[in-house]
Amino acid sequence: MNARLKLMGTGILLCLALGLTVFCAVQTVKDIQSFEQNHKLASSGDVSTIRSWMTVPFISHFYHVPEGYLLESLHITNELSVRHVPLQALAGHIKRPLNSLIHDIQHAILNYRKQYPTPTANSRHAKEPSPGTVERKKP
Amino acid sequence: MSVFLSALLNTVQQYGYPALWVSIFIAAVGLPLPIVLVLLAAGAFAALGQFNIILLTAISISASVAGDNLGYLIGRLWGSKALSWLERSSFGKRFIKPNSVARSRLYFKKRGGWAIFLSRFLVAALGGIINLLSGTELYPYRYFLLFDIAGETLGALIPLLLGFAFGASWDAIGNVIGSLSLFTLGLLIVIFLCMRLLRYARGAQKSRQSSPVIQNTLSAAEVAPMIDPPSPSSGHLPLP
Repeated sequence: MNARLKLMGTGILLCLALGLTVFCAVQTVKDIQSFEQNHKLASSGDVSTIRSWMTVPFISHFYHVPEGYLLESLHITNELSVRHVPLQALAGHIKRPLNSLIHDIQHAILNYRKQYPTPTANSRHAKEPSPGTVERKKP
Repeated sequence: MSVFLSALLNTVQQYGYPALWVSIFIAAVGLPLPIVLVLLAAGAFAALGQFNIILLTAISISASVAGDNLGYLIGRLWGSKALSWLERSSFGKRFIKPNSVARSRLYFKKRGGWAIFLSRFLVAALGGIINLLSGTELYPYRYFLLFDIAGETLGALIPLLLGFAFGASWDAIGNVIGSLSLFTLGLLIVIFLCMRLLRYARGAQKSRQSSPVIQNTLSAAEVAPMIDPPSPSSGHLPLP
């Protein structure tokens, strides 16, 4: 009887563990698909991939927009104070909602691309404009 | 992204390497910090040039090994004493069978290396508990350090390089690593339970094979009085 109980208990636990494993396998596949989609979008320079953890220099580097242009469009004058601050903290710093801040950055990037359409603007792997070029392009 | 992770990333970005070392150390001791995500993010920022990837690797390995060693030391100093007390006390004897501590120590000595190695990068959530357990079970320190460094090297390199390679998509990779880690844990539990089930089944088969002999012996003893009817002196009346 004791052995049978042990067997039953182990069987039930095995069923539960199998269920959990299958669920996790499905979740892993979904996450991989989501990652692929996200990476494709990010590689193409899609502005919807801007996240709250990103800093202004990161966005500038990743989306090929001069840092000064972004800060200017956000009306931030003290560049050094926000250099290593993620957008979430920056939103608190300048007392603005995070979504609105991200929205403004997205608009600034799109505006910059409209103003200065270059083959490098939409390509992540393309060569970044040199600092001199950036300065000349800066409105 | 959680507010906690955001605050952690903010601290790491503002204070750099020392903040990263401290947070990895605290996580290695056993506090549940999302350190894999922090390493992925640090790798992404290294791609930008904010951090040096080689220095990041050195810092994360040293911090995690130091934290793991502290966990091991706590287990060795207090955990083993607590276990010995439980083994000896009348309270503990209710739950712990005699010699079971010695048996578990022997078992951990045999298989503990794999547990230490795999828990550094595959099931990172168990790392802190495994450190304490290794100390408590008096696992040899030399082997602990060897498996720990090997595991932590992988545990640091995998997220840092993934973050470095995939940059802005590191949070999506974090989700993949999280679910993959849970999947691995589930798979390990399934394998363990299957082995246990097989052992029970073998045990049941063995007992079934040995039971007919006992039955035959018993039945012969039981059947004998029925073959030879009891004598009238025994008080029983013979059947007609």
